[in-house]
Amino acid sequence: MLFNSLTFIVFFVVVVSAYWALKAWPTRKNLLLVASYLFYGAWNPPFALLLFATTALDFFLGARIAQTQTPQTKRVWLTLSVTSNLSMLGFFKYGNFLLENTQWLLARAGIAYHPPHLDIFLPIGISFYTFHSLSYTLDVYRGVCTPTKSLRDFTLAVSFFPQLVAGPIVRAADFLPQLISPPGLRAGQFGWGLLLMTLGMFEKIVLADTLLSGPADSVFGYAGPLQALDAWAGVMAFAGQIFFDFAGYSTCAIGAALCLGFHLKDNFRFPYAAIGFSDFWRRWHISLSTFLRDFLYIPLGGNRSGPARAAVNLMIVMFIGGLWHGAAWTFVAWGLIHGLFLTIERGLKALTGEAAWSQAFAVRLLLGFGTYAVVLVAWVFFRASNFANAAQLIRAMVGVAAHGDAVLTTRELLQVGVVTAGLLLAHWTLRDTSISDAVARMPRALIVGVWTVMLCAIILTQGSGNAFIYFQF
Amino acid sequence: MGYAPTLNDTPDLWAQQRESVLPDSIVIIGDSRPHFDLDLDQLEQGLGQRPVQLALDGSCAYPVLADLANDENFHGTIICSLVPAMWLAPGGPLVATSEKALKRYHTWTLAQRTGHKLGMLLEEHLAFLKDGDLTLDALIGKLSLPARPGTGYPPLPPYFNWLDRDRRARMIDQCAQPGWLQDRIKYGWPPLFTPPPPPSYVPLEAFVAGMGKAVESRFGDTAAAVKKLRARGGKIVFVRFPFVGELKKLEDKATPRAGPWTRILKETGAPGIYFEDFPELAAFNCPEWSHLSAPDSVKFTQLLLPHLKASLGAIPSVASDAKPATTGQ
Repeated sequence: MLFNSLTFIVFFVVVVSAYWALKAWPTRKNLLLVASYLFYGAWNPPFALLLFATTALDFFLGARIAQTQTPQTKRVWLTLSVTSNLSMLGFFKYGNFLLENTQWLLARAGIAYHPPHLDIFLPIGISFYTFHSLSYTLDVYRGVCTPTKSLRDFTLAVSFFPQLVAGPIVRAADFLPQLISPPGLRAGQFGWGLLLMTLGMFEKIVLADTLLSGPADSVFGYAGPLQALDAWAGVMAFAGQIFFDFAGYSTCAIGAALCLGFHLKDNFRFPYAAIGFSDFWRRWHISLSTFLRDFLYIPLGGNRSGPARAAVNLMIVMFIGGLWHGAAWTFVAWGLIHGLFLTIERGLKALTGEAAWSQAFAVRLLLGFGTYAVVLVAWVFFRASNFANAAQLIRAMVGVAAHGDAVLTTRELLQVGVVTAGLLLAHWTLRDTSISDAVARMPRALIVGVWTVMLCAIILTQGSGNAFIYFQF
Repeated sequence: MGYAPTLNDTPDLWAQQRESVLPDSIVIIGDSRPHFDLDLDQLEQGLGQRPVQLALDGSCAYPVLADLANDENFHGTIICSLVPAMWLAPGGPLVATSEKALKRYHTWTLAQRTGHKLGMLLEEHLAFLKDGDLTLDALIGKLSLPARPGTGYPPLPPYFNWLDRDRRARMIDQCAQPGWLQDRIKYGWPPLFTPPPPPSYVPLEAFVAGMGKAVESRFGDTAAAVKKLRARGGKIVFVRFPFVGELKKLEDKATPRAGPWTRILKETGAPGIYFEDFPELAAFNCPEWSHLSAPDSVKFTQLLLPHLKASLGAIPSVASDAKPATTGQ
């Protein structure tokens, strides 16, 4: 079920009330487990079995890894876990993509191959829960996580409903310790959780769905050449939409978890105020970037074998990161653009070091806007349905498209302009702090006022329950 | 302007109705005209079973016809409104409206069903803001801003009907009486019924050829769908509901009766009821040129019934209590 739905509101009220009313900690955990599977099964009940199968297998393999003494055998169990998880993800998410590319490659070699189109229904959130589950065996192998003896606890760690379908990617190593002893009900924490949920819903329903999705869809769905103004506005609209959509979900998830006494790590930290791409990835989808860093980049050798090897490693990581988002080469292009700029940035830093001039405010601002501009260009590939569509938009953005059409109305241009200006201003103002610190500094009356405005806007919008963008990944 | 309580016409409400279709149900499909102009109580009295209202405002109903034709369990009766300019739409918002409703029906999850039931419960007991008319998006749309040449669509009509659980739409009194609301809706139709200019990036000849091909394809697909339905014993009658004024001049010029209407009846072999053929049906006036007032819709349905019976022949008086034609999942 969606956070922005009546069903969820009723579900959440019932679960939270029952959870805090129950006394015994094991019973409360059982309740959360049942609620989480109900939350997931409400989309498509049979896929709950798949979720459980993944979880049970990793629970078993985690125990085997911990019990085994020899490194070779540990590696066998880990390989089995990685292979099974990625195979399942590969089948459901990349089956048709692989078949189509095989067909294309064979055609280049003169071999006619016509594979049947697999009618595969993608289980919602599979990219996220696969990583939740996989993080357990990887961390047990690395010695970072002590394996749990409780299948119930591990199943709850993987399926905990706030973060189950669209992140943050919560590692079992971070969540399992929170299941050892029951959290206490604290009014301040509960209220903060509700405020975060309101903020997340506001970001999703009002900003992403109501104010930005229309202009983004109009521009990316237009088949002809566009005016530069429309192209930039459409891409900025999408940049804002995907941030508010995904960060909105993460914020809701963190808030919902807090209401139940659990702490999930921040997944976004004002990314559009990033200065450079390393900074961007420390601020955008932090749970994915740290997952890829710890379980892919560092095992590949990281930057320990010289700059050339580090550059190759970065490109591999960003290739995988792009593909994780979707089974299309446009996502890979998005990842590789980020990989390329990460590599360039590293090279420049090696040349200039931490020069004093680079710390000047004007230079930082300029670099920040440069980063934002390149991030926008990369988003074109992320959102475009194909490379032709992306190329057409890029041509319009750089002003080489002949006879571009106007597609956005004055109202839509204003919406995108105002929301984007507000977004950038907020990110630059808050870039060195956190939402909790910023709110802690606000007068109580202002908090109540902002909260009321957000609630009124949500009620006034009455979202019809558009699915979150990241559900498809 | 006052607002009366009404349900929002959501894809969920449509899916709920679609799910109630039994193998031998009477089903109403089409655009907003049968939605406003047909009274379900009168049809139930006259035909012996309560029809299922599946007409969608501002839609091309061909996808709904195709869906029913492909439903192997359905062998009932379809009352289908035919507004040629909408029926032949090759794509765009008119087709998307039907496809969105169908998608909801075919992929209706447990969470969405529960949300719909909760929503109905609340909407019938609490006041909410009219969807699409008083929501934030609609309110921003009412701001007076300078138009950017070449952009935007003609505005959709504002709130002028209310809806019940059976999706029976009734025109509100304020629209039925002369006044600014009636004028706003009336003069809003011509821009909506005027085709948009061809895209600048496709040569005109290629665009015209492409549109022609799409329209030809729709004629063929319609005939095929009707054939499939009738092969299972299903029935269909096409109906042209009343429309008047400048809108009539516009529609008659763009899609004259001798054109698409005649051709579809000929190619499908299905019966048709054209309101102008019958003085008692042609005597009705549409206050805003396109739909009947709520009281007139009852009278109109009463007068339409004999023609429906004549066109359709015997209809099972009570829909079977067998399981619904298909389930959404």
